[in-house]
Formats: sequence, structure tokens, C-alpha cells
Amino acid sequence: MTAVAPPVAPPETTTGTLRREDTRLLCGQGEYLGDVQRPDLKHIAILRSPLAHARIRDIDVSGALTLPGVIGAFTGAELAADTGTFNHHLEAIPTLRQINWSVLAVDKVRFVGEAVAAVVADSRYIAEDALELIEVDYEELPAVSDVEAALEGDSPQLYEDWGDNVFLYIPGPHGDTETAFANADGVLEEKFTHHRIIGLPLDGHGALGEFDPATGRLVLHASTQIPHFLRTVLAEITGLSEAKIRVVAPDMGGGFGNKVHMVREEALVAVLAMRVRHPVVWKQDRTESLTASVHSRQQVHNVEAAYRNDGRILGLRAEIIADVGSPELYVIGAGPAIVTTAIVPNCYDLQDYAFELRCVATNKAPMGAYRGYGQGQAVFLIERVLDLVGEKLGIDPVEMRRINMIPDEQRPYVTATGAVLDCGSFHDQLSDLLEGADYDAACRRRDEARTEDRLVGVGIAQMVEATAPNIHGLAGQFGVYEMAMLAVQPDGKVNVVVGTKSQGQGHETIFAKAAADELGISPDDVTVSDGDTGVLPYGSGTWGSRSVVMGGGAVIKAARQVRDKMVAIAAGLLDAPADQITVSDGFFRFGEAAIPFAQIASAAYLHTFLLPPGMDPGLSVIVGYDSFNTSPFPDERGKMNVAATYATAAAAAVVEVDPATGVVSVGDLTIVHDCGTVMNQVILDGQIHGAVMQAIGQTFFEELHYDENGQPLTTTLLDYAIPTFGDVVEPRIIHRETPSDLIGGYRGAGEGALIVVPAALAAAVHDALVPLGVPITQANLSPPRLRELLRGHSAA
Amino acid sequence: MKPARFEYVAVESVAEATEALADSEDARVLAGGQSLVPLMNLRLARPSLLVDVNGLGALSGFEARNGTLRFGAMCRHRFLETDPAVRRQAPIVAETAGLIGHVGIRNRGTLGGSIAHADPVAELPALLVALDGNVVASGTTGERTVPAAEFFAGPFMTSLEPAELLTAVEIPAHSEGDGGAFSEFVLRHGDFATAGVAVILHRDEGGACDRLRVAGCGLGPIPMDLSAAGEFLLGESALTDGGADELGRRVAAASDPTGDVHGSGEYRRELAAVLAADAVRRAWGRAGSAGRG
Repeated sequence: MTAVAPPVAPPETTTGTLRREDTRLLCGQGEYLGDVQRPDLKHIAILRSPLAHARIRDIDVSGALTLPGVIGAFTGAELAADTGTFNHHLEAIPTLRQINWSVLAVDKVRFVGEAVAAVVADSRYIAEDALELIEVDYEELPAVSDVEAALEGDSPQLYEDWGDNVFLYIPGPHGDTETAFANADGVLEEKFTHHRIIGLPLDGHGALGEFDPATGRLVLHASTQIPHFLRTVLAEITGLSEAKIRVVAPDMGGGFGNKVHMVREEALVAVLAMRVRHPVVWKQDRTESLTASVHSRQQVHNVEAAYRNDGRILGLRAEIIADVGSPELYVIGAGPAIVTTAIVPNCYDLQDYAFELRCVATNKAPMGAYRGYGQGQAVFLIERVLDLVGEKLGIDPVEMRRINMIPDEQRPYVTATGAVLDCGSFHDQLSDLLEGADYDAACRRRDEARTEDRLVGVGIAQMVEATAPNIHGLAGQFGVYEMAMLAVQPDGKVNVVVGTKSQGQGHETIFAKAAADELGISPDDVTVSDGDTGVLPYGSGTWGSRSVVMGGGAVIKAARQVRDKMVAIAAGLLDAPADQITVSDGFFRFGEAAIPFAQIASAAYLHTFLLPPGMDPGLSVIVGYDSFNTSPFPDERGKMNVAATYATAAAAAVVEVDPATGVVSVGDLTIVHDCGTVMNQVILDGQIHGAVMQAIGQTFFEELHYDENGQPLTTTLLDYAIPTFGDVVEPRIIHRETPSDLIGGYRGAGEGALIVVPAALAAAVHDALVPLGVPITQANLSPPRLRELLRGHSAA
Repeated sequence: MKPARFEYVAVESVAEATEALADSEDARVLAGGQSLVPLMNLRLARPSLLVDVNGLGALSGFEARNGTLRFGAMCRHRFLETDPAVRRQAPIVAETAGLIGHVGIRNRGTLGGSIAHADPVAELPALLVALDGNVVASGTTGERTVPAAEFFAGPFMTSLEPAELLTAVEIPAHSEGDGGAFSEFVLRHGDFATAGVAVILHRDEGGACDRLRVAGCGLGPIPMDLSAAGEFLLGESALTDGGADELGRRVAAASDPTGDVHGSGEYRRELAAVLAADAVRRAWGRAGSAGRG
């Protein structure tokens, strides 16, 4: 944290348009993990496996201990003696391999970058020097890095006792696909591929641990999206009670799902803080973040779609293979692939849908969450199927969607997998898209370009997103609910504490507005905090497009409870019936009479003799808020309603392909977006802009490479190309507002554009390549990959 | 991501620098540091001593002498890109320097550092080969001049002796009828080029091409001299689309690229064809823009 004063006063936020936290964050006054300082702070460096697959015969740390400045050096075997292990807390799934793992590898390493030993030293420099003095005796084993090879019978096995590499198998026979296929006029068979990428926060994982042996209390400052979940896990690992552990998540430079996982290093920091009795810090460096945090997306889909000649998709069979890398990650990295299977029907009336999901372990870093959480792959699948079937039948993409879309009058609509869709009209949303994108004119311009031998394409895609999900039984023991604390202080100013955790999304601004609107005061009078388990008993963190839906709902619920008490006080003071008291502009009113908000507050704390007889003093509540409409587990037919509410979006893209270099230029991008009640459009548009940037990145720039032996080849940002501002397009955004039935009418908003835009881009590139007859069935459309595709086609 | 231990000395003369280099086993010269320091942080480079030559003002700037331009090794990329005299007397150097990295990198990175680092995907080594320039190196026993064609020995390897300091780079001065262009493909603005092609040519008073040189980056283990691919254009007065594309095909065929995460060898070859055709078109136009084309 710098001492430089901000150049301007914090912006007014009464309109809800500007982010109140920006002045602090943009002027270098945020406090990120790297800014947290303690006297006598020691630094942790972690020795990581150079091999993709090996047995650990022996580790000798004695050399490291001779280096001046080294406090200690630790192996997995040594720490395992008195620490707990991680597990997935999914005993209810019979087809999941049950595994336990420690804070450091003990017997085996299964990917390059896996943590095998740790050094604590006076500085990170010394700690890294000491790592070079640790000797590990590895017995190298054959490795497998390709997911389809990992399914072969002769593949190396990551866990010998499994007998294969299938970490999780889930069959999902929904409806009657046999009849559907029997009645079909034709069947489309396709294979779709999704490459491995990473949700890459600029500010990586890290933790600073402090242990006070006198009180037995542990404080862990961690850059995490889920501080309370982390506390629960730390209790399991350290043996301390949750009451003795406080997790504080400071300001964060992004999370994107990567930090919805509790990486073993966070627990390692806690364990080492207790061992060495100094405050200790570990901050992930860039190579660690690229090779040893949380990868995402990699899936293979083998799809059969049964269709009628009128364009109706009658049934779908999908074999979904997810490359989960090392499965030793909590919460479980198979979660996104499970969600993929649930979302495939999307906004289409497709009840006869059967899937088989295999999550396969390979010798690569763990795969897990990244903004979109498996839903983008599902949308890609069904949207590609519609376009490819339409192409066979000569039916255009818009018509294909209208033919198959869920009718407006069916609400709620229960999908094949049990999702209870509460969405607005898909037909109207599509009409808004076509109008906003001037779709017909775009198609005409494409046709003209083709006469000049230019490869211009237009593509559309739609999505339904499960927002505020409850994946208790599919991703670990955590649910959908949220908590909030609200306290009106004696001076009438308000503290709000939420169990969500902002990673930069503007939560201070939106939650202040949510509370202020209920209390009839200015948002400037509300101070918002998050990320401290010492203040709020529990919270579910920020992920799954849930914060406005569940956090906002909890804040409103809390504010209403406090307001009701204030109304009762005001009713007593004004000698009026409570149901005739109104609250606005900082006053409680009854007819012409008015009492300032602050006066009620002082009565509650300082002049308690003014309270109605028998009323307890104080104005604070802690509330829990649940949507009560989700399923924690699948039912006996494998169906579950995964989310509290569903958001929708549609996108249209216009692109031009340079066939010589494989470069795709995105000329125009339109997004129609429905997240229910819009709380703050500036912040919402920012979410969409960021998601578009990531969609462009994953489609045209990003790919994590491993060689066939499991060596990572993308270990720095020279190798892993995330787009820069010069590489992105500004979308045209059209908001639709179909309120949900939840408090506030909100639906989630954080991920939709990243779910739908890649499918629209793929559709547009496919359309551009129609003159060459090259179908797009892969999500990776980077210049070298697109050239590879074109080259392969011209050779065939 | 912290470097291993190293010693550091800031020198005040070329002699002091070469002595420091001679006295130490694994000394490295610190110029702009834009490549060396990241490599040190990754512990891929582990010099025992850094010899900081940033204080050697005599290695800055450039001068014209007998038809040759001599650039000090410490010329920053940003200087080469923006200096009016460089832009006038060596426009291809200014164009190429502007392709390197981002402004922050160009503010620090140096001509000598880029040449001595000899990254096969870097622009300036390829340009030096295309220009048929020279490298001037100083050692404890004096100064020697090495033609570019003999300087680059392999990826990140040159014919510099361990105790030699690269002090200057010489290229022919720009003259009437010269035209040059550097075309490269980058995935993102500021990246190292996946591939790049420099074309330097001269057209005589009648407009006929009487000299044509081609070099590439990212197309082989060293900056590749691909000039033989352009011999068929010598004597031609006009460049047809077919001629430019033919040069592209020949450059691609003569290239020897390997694959990495940024593109396969085959992809780089395809890029070479596109880039060479683009570069020769632009260079040809520039050579003729003096009113003789």
C-alpha cells in the first residue's frame, strides 16, 4: 500500500453508477495480499516436481538447512504425520474414486509443478536458493498427458489401485432417446473439442499465516473467493476448531474461479505458520500460477443428434470426456464437466437426451473452475449441432433455433436434467438480437463479401446459465445460501458485512445501494465489508454468478428486518400505527410528522428509555438467506435443479477470416443479456466487457500446451497469450430485464457473455469458411490452429 | 521467481568492462536487461557477475562515415524508432525498432543487447543480416569487426568471445534507390514475432532491381539469410503480384523453422510466404518512391 493520497475525492455513488471502490483501487490504495506486512515475516518457497509422474523414494532437505537465513525445510511425509488430509466430501457419489491428499506430495507426484517440499526463510530469495539444495530421489514413471490416450487399456495409471484413469463416471439417460433416434430422418455425428486454458488472475493465489500459540488462534490472510469454505478446510487440515481460525481475504486482483478452489498451498501456509511460530507468507509466482494452480475447459464431446427433416432435434446422445489432470483439488475439479452435462439442452425443448460423462485423470495440473464453469462447452455443443443440422437441411440458423426453442408459454420449464427454467421469452430475446445486430443486413454484407472472395461470416448463439447454483452433492459440502450482517450504528450510519467476496466486481457499491434503498438512506451512509470470517459466522463466497442474487438478497433481507424494528421505534415515538410509517430520504414519516433516521438509531443505543416497552436495545441482525428451490443432490432419476435462478443471453458475431495467416478479425459483436433486475448497469456492462475479452482470449489466443510426456510448455506469459486491450472488441449490449421470483428480482450476471460468445464466434467462423467447406467443431480458433484446420482440409 | 546470487559492477569505460568480463568466469553484460533479467528471474541465466554498461555514454548515438552508419551498442530501441535523423538516414532501422515489444521495453532495450542476445525470433539480428552489416566488438586486446553473416552461431549463440563487449553496429547508409521493409506476424501487439521477414533492395536509375537481400526471424535457428530466394527478381523493373508471391514461396522453401507453442514449423513457413510477399511489395515501392519507379 502506498502513502500517495488519491488525487480526487471518492465519486458520488448516489446514482449507483460509479464504483465507490475505484478511487481506492485505481490510486494504488488497495490492500492486496502482497501489501500485508508483518514484523518478522518469513517467506515460503515450494519445491515442485520436474517430472510428470514419479514415485518419491526419498527427500533430503539437510542441504537446505545449512543455508544461512533458512528457518526450516519440510517434506510431505514429515508434515503428514500431524496434519489432516484433503478429500472431496462426495461420498454420496458411488462412481467417484475416493482419494485423500496432503498439503505436500508424499509418495507420488502426478504432474510437473506438484508441490513436494517447502522452505521457510528470511526472504524469498534465500528460500528459492535453499530449494536448490534439496535432493529428491524420484523413480520416474511413464506419464500420460492426452485424455483419449489415458482411456486406452495400456495407458500409464495415475492411481494403480483404480485399474484405469476414470476418476468419475456418470451416466445420464434422460427421456427416451431410443424412440427419438428410431423416429429420426437423419443423425448427425460429430466430435467437438475444447482446449485447455486457465482463468488467470493477475493477482495469483497466496496466503499469509499467523499463529498465536498463547491463544491457539490462527489467522490466514488468503487471496480466495471463498474465505469461509477455506476456514472449514483449514480446520480439517490443522485440527484447530473453526472458532480458533480466522480467514481474511484482502482486496483481490481477480479470481475468475481459479480461487474458488482451496489449493493445498493455502493449507500449507497455515501448517507452516503453526510449525515455525513466525508469520509466514507464500505468494504464487507466474510460473506457479500457469503450471500449478487450476486449469480449465479441456473436454472432448462425441455427439449424435437425431433430427427430423423439418429441423426439429428429436434426441441427443453425448459422450463427454473431461481431462481433469490431477484430481487432487478441492472443491472438485470435475464440477464444471458435471455442469456441462446438465446444461446441454440449453434453451431448447430437448427431453430425450442421454449423456455419459467420464472425468479422466492425466499427468497434468488439476482442472477446475473458470468463469463459465463448464456451461460454455455445453452451449458450444448444442449451438454447433443446430447449425450443422441446419446446414444439412438448408434451414438457416435463426429458423433452426425458433423450431427447437422452448415455447414461451411453458414456464417454469423443467429440462431433461431437471433444471427448472424461470427465464423470459427466448423468442423475444432472439428477436432483440436480430434487430440489435441488424442481422439481415450483416448477412447481406457477408454475401457481397463472398462475391469478392472474402471470407466473412455471421454467427449467432444463445445460452441459459445456472446462476446462484447449489452443487452441494456434486462439488463438495457447500450449498447455495448466503449470510449478511447489518448494523445501524448509534450515529445512524450503517455497516453491512456480506459472505460473498469481491475480487474487483464492485460489491461495495452494489451492496451499499441495496441496503440504502431498503433503509431509505443514502448509499454514502453505508460501509460494506466482506472477506473476514471473524465478523460473519459463515458465507458462501463469490462464484457461480451468485453474489447479487444471494448476497444482494441477504443484504435486502437484513435491511428489511432492521427497518422493521426502526419502524416500530418510530411508531412509538410518533404515536402512530407501524403500518402507516413510511421510510424515505433519511426520515421515518407519519403524515406531516417526521423523525430523522439517525434519531431512531441513537434511541436504540443511547436513549433506550425511548424504546417501546420490552424492546431489546440495538439495531443489528445477522441473517441467512436461501432460495429454497434448489436440489442439493440428484434425485433417483439423476435430475436436479442446480440453480436458484437462470439468466439468459444471446450473441451475434460478424467475423472475417484471413485464410493465409488464420487470423480472424471480429468486426461486430452484439449481446442481448437478461439478468433480471439490473442493479447497476455500469458494473453490469463492465462484467460483459470483461467476459467478451476472455471469450476472445480463449477462442483466438489462449492455449496451455503440454508435450506427450506431460512437460508444460506454457510456463510464462510470453508463452501463454492472454489478449491485450488492442486485441478486443467493444460489444453492443442490449439489456432485457425479466425479474426472477427471488428477493430483488435478480438473476446472475457474471459469466453469461463468456458462456455464449465463444459459440457465436465459432458459428461466425464456420459461416465464413462455408465457401471452403471447412466445418468448425473445435473451440480453439487461434491463427495457427485455424491454419492447421485449413491445411488439413485442403490436403484431404 | 527470484534470481540466484550474483555480483554486480557498474563500469565507466569499455576497458573496464572488458577487464571485468575477462576476470570473471560467468559474467554477463547488462545493457537494457529486457531479456537477461527475466531469464535470471527464471534461473535460466545464472551469471556470477553483471557488468552494467548503462553508464557508457560513448556507446550511444550514431554517426555517418564513408557511406556507413555506425550505431553505438547502447542505442535504445525507442531512440532508433523516434530519432528524426535515424528515421531519415536509416528508415528501415526505425521501422524495425518500432516493432519490438511495447514502449516500456523499447525505452530500455538496446541495439547491442538485442544483437548480442541473438534470439532467433528477434527482429534486429535479422535486419542486420538483411542489411549485410557488421558487428564491432572490443576485447582486452582491441577492437575487431565481424560481418553479420559470421556473427550468429546458433540460438542465443554468437561469435563474441566471453571477454568481448559488443560496442557498435555498422550498416550501409541509406542512399537513392534503396528500399527496405520489415514484415512480421505477431499474435498480439508487442509479442516476439512468430515469424518476420526483412527485404532490402536497390533499384537503379532505370527502376531495375540490382540488389535484393532477404532475411528472416523465427524461420530458423539463427537469423536466416534468405537472399538466394530473391535472385530471380534481379534485373526486373516491375514487381508483379506473381513475382511477390513467387518470392514468398521461395522464401518459405528456403526457411528452416522449428515449431513451438506459437506455431508449428509448417505454420511459420506459411507465414514466411505471406510476409516475404508483403515486405518485397513495400520495399519495392519505397525504392521507387524517389520518382524513378
